[in-house]
Amino acid sequence: MAEKSFETTSQACCSTSSESSPILALPMDTPLRKVLSRISGFASSWGKKTVTAPRGRRIFHRDVEQDEFQNGSAHCLSSYYSVFVARLAIMVMLAILIGLLTVLTWHFTRVYTTKSLNTLAYGLRYELLQRPILRMWNVLNSTSEITTAQVKLSEYVIKRYSKPTNQAELIELYQMMKDITWALFASHKALNAITINYRNGFVQAFHRDHRSNNTFYIYSDLANYSISDTQSSQQGWNDQFIHGNESAIWYRQPLDPVTGEKQGKPSQIPPEDLINIAGPSQVPDGVASWHVAVSKYTDSPLLSAALPVRDASNRSIVAIVGVTTALYSVGQLMKELVEVHSGYIYLTSQEGYLLATSTNTPLLNNTANGPKLMMATNSEDRVIRMGAQWLQKTYGNKFPPGHVVHVEKANLGGQHYYIDSFFLNLKRLPMVGVIIIPRKYIMGKVDERALKTLVILISASVCILVIGCVCILILTNGVSKEMKLRAELISHLDARRRAEASSNYKSQFLANMSHELRTPMAAVIGLLDILICDDCLTNEQYAMVTQIRKCSTALLRLLNNILDLSKVESGKLVLEEAEFDLGRELEGLVDMFSVQCINHNVETVLDLSDDIPKVVRGDSARVVQVFANLISNSIKFTTSGHIILRGWCENPIVSSDSGKLSPDQKNPLSALKTKLKQHGNHMKKASKKDNKMILWFEVDDTGCGIDPSKWESVFESFEQADPSTTRTHGGTGLGLCIVRTLVNKMGGEIKVVKKNGQGTLMRLFLLLSTPADGIEQQRRIDFAKHGVAVILALHGSMGRLIMSKWLSKNGVPTLEASEWNELTQILHELFHARTTNSGFDTHYSLAKPLRSKVQTLQDMKNPVYIIVVDLGLLDLSTDIWKEQLNFLDKFSGQVKFAWMLNHDTSNAIKMELRRKGHILMVNKPLYKAKMLHILEAVVKESYVEPPNGSPNGTKGTSKQGDSHECLEIDSSQFETCSSDDSDISEMTGANSASSVGVGEQLKEGTVLKSGPPTLRNCLVEFTRLGLEVNNLRTEEDQCNGRPKLHDTKDVKCENPDSSEQPSVRSNAKDRDNSYTTNKAANEQKTLEGLRILLAEDTPVLQRVATIMLEKMGAVVVAVGDGVQAVEALNCDLDRDENRTNRLQTEICDSPPYDLILMDCQMPMMDGYEATKAIRKSEERTGWHIPIVALTAHAMSSDKEKCLQVGMDAYLTKPIDYKLMVSTILSLTKRSP
Amino acid sequence: MDLVQLQRQLVEYRTSLYHEGFLDEQYTQLQELQDENNPDFVVEVVSLFFEDSERLLNELTKALEQQSIDFKRVDAHVHQLKGSSSSIGAQRVQKVCIAFRNYCEEQNVEGCLKCLQQVRHEYSLVKTKLESMFQLEQQILSAGGSIPM
Repeated sequence: MAEKSFETTSQACCSTSSESSPILALPMDTPLRKVLSRISGFASSWGKKTVTAPRGRRIFHRDVEQDEFQNGSAHCLSSYYSVFVARLAIMVMLAILIGLLTVLTWHFTRVYTTKSLNTLAYGLRYELLQRPILRMWNVLNSTSEITTAQVKLSEYVIKRYSKPTNQAELIELYQMMKDITWALFASHKALNAITINYRNGFVQAFHRDHRSNNTFYIYSDLANYSISDTQSSQQGWNDQFIHGNESAIWYRQPLDPVTGEKQGKPSQIPPEDLINIAGPSQVPDGVASWHVAVSKYTDSPLLSAALPVRDASNRSIVAIVGVTTALYSVGQLMKELVEVHSGYIYLTSQEGYLLATSTNTPLLNNTANGPKLMMATNSEDRVIRMGAQWLQKTYGNKFPPGHVVHVEKANLGGQHYYIDSFFLNLKRLPMVGVIIIPRKYIMGKVDERALKTLVILISASVCILVIGCVCILILTNGVSKEMKLRAELISHLDARRRAEASSNYKSQFLANMSHELRTPMAAVIGLLDILICDDCLTNEQYAMVTQIRKCSTALLRLLNNILDLSKVESGKLVLEEAEFDLGRELEGLVDMFSVQCINHNVETVLDLSDDIPKVVRGDSARVVQVFANLISNSIKFTTSGHIILRGWCENPIVSSDSGKLSPDQKNPLSALKTKLKQHGNHMKKASKKDNKMILWFEVDDTGCGIDPSKWESVFESFEQADPSTTRTHGGTGLGLCIVRTLVNKMGGEIKVVKKNGQGTLMRLFLLLSTPADGIEQQRRIDFAKHGVAVILALHGSMGRLIMSKWLSKNGVPTLEASEWNELTQILHELFHARTTNSGFDTHYSLAKPLRSKVQTLQDMKNPVYIIVVDLGLLDLSTDIWKEQLNFLDKFSGQVKFAWMLNHDTSNAIKMELRRKGHILMVNKPLYKAKMLHILEAVVKESYVEPPNGSPNGTKGTSKQGDSHECLEIDSSQFETCSSDDSDISEMTGANSASSVGVGEQLKEGTVLKSGPPTLRNCLVEFTRLGLEVNNLRTEEDQCNGRPKLHDTKDVKCENPDSSEQPSVRSNAKDRDNSYTTNKAANEQKTLEGLRILLAEDTPVLQRVATIMLEKMGAVVVAVGDGVQAVEALNCDLDRDENRTNRLQTEICDSPPYDLILMDCQMPMMDGYEATKAIRKSEERTGWHIPIVALTAHAMSSDKEKCLQVGMDAYLTKPIDYKLMVSTILSLTKRSP
Repeated sequence: MDLVQLQRQLVEYRTSLYHEGFLDEQYTQLQELQDENNPDFVVEVVSLFFEDSERLLNELTKALEQQSIDFKRVDAHVHQLKGSSSSIGAQRVQKVCIAFRNYCEEQNVEGCLKCLQQVRHEYSLVKTKLESMFQLEQQILSAGGSIPM
């Protein structure tokens, strides 16, 4: 039972494997994979059963990682099983294949051998049988011939002695016959006997006994026969003749077998003892007859033939001749054949009497009546008997036609034999020959061999199978390893995907979190601002609140950084594409940072190459953020020395140029150049298409530097070169990370570059596109033409060096002085040497190169000298500076002074300077734009008046305008750095507006092409920028560890200064001033006269916003939803039109509201729809009422949507007081 | 009653409200906005909030009782409630509103109902707190004192 079931299962297994085996043979095909997967699925489901138990236990740990691992191992296990099954299947298939091959080989070889052997055997048997039959045939033939010969001879003799008349003649005849017959008999040794039976009953016979080898002559008594008898009846034989002459006396005389002579006395023998003597009965019809006879002298049957001898007239039979031949020879032949070939042969008559066999068994039965022929079935030989019996049993009497039987496998007594029988159809003596050959004889070897072959084949195939299995094992080992690896890879991929997903979630979470945190933080800061504005605070409280505000801004900055980072990571950061003045942005940045640097003796230098395009397209806020982060980072770590921001354009000429500017940087620079060549080439291709250019920048500081091993890692988030710096310098390590992500986003790269000497050198390039209308030609006056010479008396050596290089490159000869004494030296050299009335020039010995420079300056014709004097050169600590000023005043006729002020230069000094007519004052640091302004101012002045004659008093008011303008531009930039912490959020907003808008307008002839879109973008972006700049500054303030009170004093002493500035400004900018100075008394009413439509559905918010706006003096109309907003606007429009007719006031050309605050989510009609509707209705009037969105979300996608429908800016809820004010101002200010 | 004590009590009470998270900066901002022109600004806005919230809560209850809940409507209501509560600085209400909106997005009826209960609870809490604070202020004002900021 068990065995059976096992069998069925194994069968099933076989069937499945055989099912899959044809596919398995294919190399890793899809069907194969399918099958494998099915198998593996099966295996895995199988394997899971074993795995589930521990898994279930471990699931309690709730450890995801472990679970994952478990999963992976299960995966591995399943793949292992699949491999195992596949291997098994291949093996089974191989086994089947080899088995089939073996069986087929064996079968075919066997069949072929058997067939050919059988054919051969058949031939052999046929041949074997044929030969005795032929012999038999021969025997018969020869017998017949002899008989015929005897007959013919007898006839002849009898003819001669025809009608013997007497006894003597008769005796003579008989003697004659005896001689002839002897001759014949002697010549045929095989003959047994020849008999002649005469009509008268006389018998003559020769007989040869083969056993005793005797020859006898047998004759009957002659006396009994009369001649008359022969004559008396011609018609028939006499009685004796017919019935046998029993009465006659028979004699036998032995003869010499060779000569035939008589050897002894004839002895009388009984007639029955005699041999067969053919009588007339045997030839009843006169033709030859055959029969098989038996004689008692031989143990073999005899073949006897009888033929009548006729008389001359051929009418009557005279005698009968009989010839008897022993079939002994046939048997002999058979024996011989069998001896050679083995087997058994026998001949039978048709009746089944044995005639001859190949054995020695007797053929005759010794019965009482004498020997008789034996039936084959009674043969004493076992095999022959059985063969005959088998034949009889099989066929009975119904032999197939011709008695031809071929049986290959006859079972005779437990052994197999071939039995073949042939029929020999002789006339009157049909014979059947049978040959029985043991199968063993022919096929014995074959069968034996077949068995051996089979055994060998099976063993060989088993060997092959084993080897094949081993091979498969070895081969599939690799596959299984690969499978395992794949499984691992898959699990790794899975893990990675999960990790990525989780990282994505993290970014998302951070973005949301920072957003959620940012809103309250903004509120905190706003409220602090309000608190600071409050006058009722004591000094301590004020200081505390200021400190809180700083901390809050620091926190907000961190949040912003995180938000930025996660935005970039989650791919939500959208870079703007707007035109902006790169140089101006960077100058503003440097201005801002230089304020901090001055406090700790660090020089901030901006070194932009001339070929940098003035206007580029890109995200200005982000670009500024990049550099702000980098520079603030540098400042943080630099205690003394300089920070240089270099910039140049991707251009071979420029690169050499900049290399000249900084010779120590040449090598690394060129190395980088070559390194980035391919990249550059690639970029160039891209840039040619859409007018993009690669701008290179370097931020070079002399700080503590970064360890080379950290050069890469400093750009990672929360990574700092030295963790300990957090204590001393603060910061989170996000700045550089943001920088890198931003730079990469802009298609650039940033890296730390090896630098000679102390400090860090950050190098980056940005891919920015230039406006499509081509690079505008920079306005440049050829200063060399005007004969201008500049003396740079500046503290900072780096800035001075760079500036002088640049000037001399532009054809302006320069002299440098780093301190007061040097300046005086130069001045003496220049002017006193010429006038030669000086007594103290001898002990001033200038250095040679300087002297030669002075010489070249002196060679110039009517040069206009400009001395750029750093105020720090003067000794401000005491009152000496006044004397120094007086000293310089002496030269004021010959030179123009431009004063470099510090941001904290006291007002008294400024007043003094102004009093003395030094109206060219700029704030530090000095960079090209400022230098250009100075030069332009001077050159213009020198055009108006002859350069040589311009004494002190002649400085008319006409020139003052120019100077003021020049000053104005500087002061507008000056605001950036002088603005204090508290109001910077608006300041930068205003600054960006004024620097792009107002500042540009003042510059004659250089109204920037960037129109409203740029402006709008700036305004929209200002919140971020403002916060950014604000934060930067706050943090640095903290790092500097400036005393708080000092800071506040700073602010306080600043304010009068900035409130003083407007006196120089034109009236057109009064509005700007009003919000830049938020501490002024009129701050409360900054929105005075503005009409604002507020669309907000939430009553609470509506009320809050209304009060907020009204508090600032605005007239607020509040509506509940978008439909009302649109209606309010339209009815106002109508009313306006009516009013226009009636009053004709100045309102006629202005829209009913100056601004609309629009909530985005409202019932009936949301903010987006309302805005669209309003913008549509505006089309007919041509107005553009600024619409500010109020949203609950601060993602840039919302912003995008807001801007898309036509809004101008957006604010986040809850409303931040200050942000709202600044936004509204920036939007309304623009409208006339 | 002692005016100073009353004033101190008010300050302490208000501080506790901030501490316990019933109110946030936004409320402070509201107080900032109150001046001579709008002497009862805070009370006005807060009572507006009460009205609005009660209306919204009723609406929400109605909407959630419906057989097939219109989650869009519920979401809009919750959004409004969130906006108004954040505007007066009732931040605990606001927080529950945020959770409420999440459930709305998931269309989780159970969660919505739970949140509605919470919102009700928080709302009534903040209402009683604010009302008692206003009472204190009224007392101070009637006693002739000024409300300390």
